[in-house]
Amino acid sequence: MKKLVVFLASFLFFAHASHAAVTPSQAEDFIKEVTKTGIEQIINSDVSQAEKDKRFEKLFNKYLDLDFIGRFVLGRYWKTSTPQQRKDFINAYRELNIKTWSKRFDEFKGKSFNFNGTSPSNSANQIFVNTTVNMGEGAPAKVVWRVKDTNGELKVVDIIIENVSLAITARNEYTAYIKKAPNGVDDLIADLKKRGQ
Amino acid sequence: MKKLFGILAMTLLISACATNPDGTKLDTSGETKLEAYNRAMFNFNYQLDKKVIKPVAKGYKAVTNQFFRDRVTNVFNNLEEPADAINNLLQGNLKDSGVSVTRFAVNSTLGLLGMFDVAKGWNMPRKKADFDGTMAKYCVPDGPFVVMPVIGPSTPRYLAGWGVDSLASPTFWALYDVDDDGVQAAAYGAYALKYLNKRAEAMTLLDDLEKNSVDFYTTMKSAFMQNRQKYVSLCGAEKDATAPSYDFDFDEDFDDMEE
Repeated sequence: MKKLVVFLASFLFFAHASHAAVTPSQAEDFIKEVTKTGIEQIINSDVSQAEKDKRFEKLFNKYLDLDFIGRFVLGRYWKTSTPQQRKDFINAYRELNIKTWSKRFDEFKGKSFNFNGTSPSNSANQIFVNTTVNMGEGAPAKVVWRVKDTNGELKVVDIIIENVSLAITARNEYTAYIKKAPNGVDDLIADLKKRGQ
Repeated sequence: MKKLFGILAMTLLISACATNPDGTKLDTSGETKLEAYNRAMFNFNYQLDKKVIKPVAKGYKAVTNQFFRDRVTNVFNNLEEPADAINNLLQGNLKDSGVSVTRFAVNSTLGLLGMFDVAKGWNMPRKKADFDGTMAKYCVPDGPFVVMPVIGPSTPRYLAGWGVDSLASPTFWALYDVDDDGVQAAAYGAYALKYLNKRAEAMTLLDDLEKNSVDFYTTMKSAFMQNRQKYVSLCGAEKDATAPSYDFDFDEDFDDMEE
């Protein structure tokens, strides 16, 4: 009996360990790199807005797993979409996000991120990195980074600001939209493209 | 009584779209009817904001600077500290309650009526807590997402909590208890300033959000409902939970999140 317990315990341990591929310090270092790059090379740098936009796009594509996020954001409509629709959606979603965030990024000028450790996720190979940013008056804004480890490569898959997940919000919004739109996903793609211009 | 009604109407009117909204978890019973109402009311509030509140807030922003608006924000945040203290106590967070009391004492005096957050510099950041969170702690359910006239995104429990919290506000008692016209006018003015300031400070964020949303109502609903989770955990569940509320499973179809 005792042996069985030990066996089960070790099994559980290893099963669990195999999920915990990304360590807290790896994830934290990764987000430190992301924020440092963003602040030093983009926000605080003395280059034109066009150059900043270009650098931001590079940063965005390098550190975010938008294929993964896009699939989640489209929800159940991902399964019913054609490969072309999926590709078009991811591209439109990418363009819109780059444009939006590149512009908003300047708000972080002169700000710095404080790192407050990590929290585990129930999803395999994922972890949350907890940060806060002092945004002027009031309590500092809580920004949580969801980091995913894909075969040793770390990527951001969600950003949670003041408890609001960007992925969940987009998913709620887009699925509600598709449900009402006469041409479903195609309408959404067209609308996103329009907004991303 | 008449006075109370006046206060209520005024509060409703001013608090306008200052709340930051969003939404998920909708009760399935009568969902379509409720959603139809919500969308209609959301649209009404949106038009009211566009035609009246936002232009006024823009004007306010034009004649004030960031320093001034920060002081206004701090003064009104400071007035919420008594409510923070009571709710932290009711939620069993004794230490946080003590922080709220200390903050109120320090910032009201050394911080010049709350204009400056001195306590934050002493490593005592605000411990926000509201009666919505207190009710949640004692297992009062949230109810469905409802868009209220002028107030905007809400839930029945959120609305009730907001009403109770305003009882802890000095502005409320100035309106309720004092017959002096000057004091009353000042209190109404304070309410107006509070929400105007909030609206002005949220200008860029809301403009951006609207521009990038294909369904603004759903975006606001989703963000509101998620943000509430920060202060609210049903029956104190969050403390025992192994994962935060935003730890959804990427591979799972959670249709309940959709609408």
